[in-house]
Amino acid sequence: MLNILVVDDSLIIRKNIKKYITNLGYSIAGEAKNGRQAIELCKELKPDLITMDITMPDMDGITAVTKIREFDTNVNIIMVTSHGQEEMVVSSLKSGAQGYLLKPINEEKLLQAIGNIYAEHLEDEDDELLDDELIDD
Amino acid sequence: MQWSHKETIFEHEILSPLVERAMSFLQEDLEIQVLSKKVDIISPKKVKLKKNTAMIGTGGSVQVLVTMGYDDELLSKVVEAFLEGEEVDEEELEEIQESVSCEVVNTIVGNALKNPLDGTTLGITPPILISEAKSLFKQKSSQIAAATIITEFGEMLLTAVGPKEQFSETLNFKEL
Repeated sequence: MLNILVVDDSLIIRKNIKKYITNLGYSIAGEAKNGRQAIELCKELKPDLITMDITMPDMDGITAVTKIREFDTNVNIIMVTSHGQEEMVVSSLKSGAQGYLLKPINEEKLLQAIGNIYAEHLEDEDDELLDDELIDD
Repeated sequence: MQWSHKETIFEHEILSPLVERAMSFLQEDLEIQVLSKKVDIISPKKVKLKKNTAMIGTGGSVQVLVTMGYDDELLSKVVEAFLEGEEVDEEELEEIQESVSCEVVNTIVGNALKNPLDGTTLGITPPILISEAKSLFKQKSSQIAAATIITEFGEMLLTAVGPKEQFSETLNFKEL
């Protein structure tokens, strides 16, 4: 079961994302209000996935992702942003995130964002298996 | 940013897209009926903010402050929509209301505002609450644009105030 860390300075967004995670049958690893807390909790809880807000006080989401990538290259990260524009999303992906979610968020959008990441992973694994089979042949 | 033609920029490039997004957000995302057919944007000398007001600042080459305030009943309905039917106790409600006020301004400004000069993304600051009833006064070198959206549950007041550096975090005018 996916274990998800929720990072957002907004109480209502954390509350709603946690509700969607539970409804979708995933597990909540923990929650953080800013990038700094997110880094600490990522080290401590080792989640499979993080939902990371971009605009937060203390440390923003893009900086936090860059720092998380210094010690964890495995955790998947979905950026959450109200910016519908390309620049923020591009910066997030460059910093090491795998996907993004545009506000306003709902359960369907979250499911789709998670599905996009894990579908890609499954495809990658399938490709690796295929490569192995070709090598074996 | 050059502040020539600033009233036009404030009204048409800053506040107008915010009003449009706020109306669609209320109607389509929160299913709150907007009664205003057309919202007039004015440049008042003074504007009295509502008790429930959240503020956000933009960064980069366009530095403005945007406030969004609600009548009590409208805020309750907005909170209800965000909670999606979930019950919360009285103790938590105030914190949830504050969070929702901030989240709405964050979402609307993030969705709607672009740099009027080149169409690029504007950075935004984390939103904050204006917890006291407050009036804004236009100074010689500042601009205020305001618009009121009327809904079935009361009014939403939007203002754009700038340049940002002339106002403190509590929206007091600073003599530079």
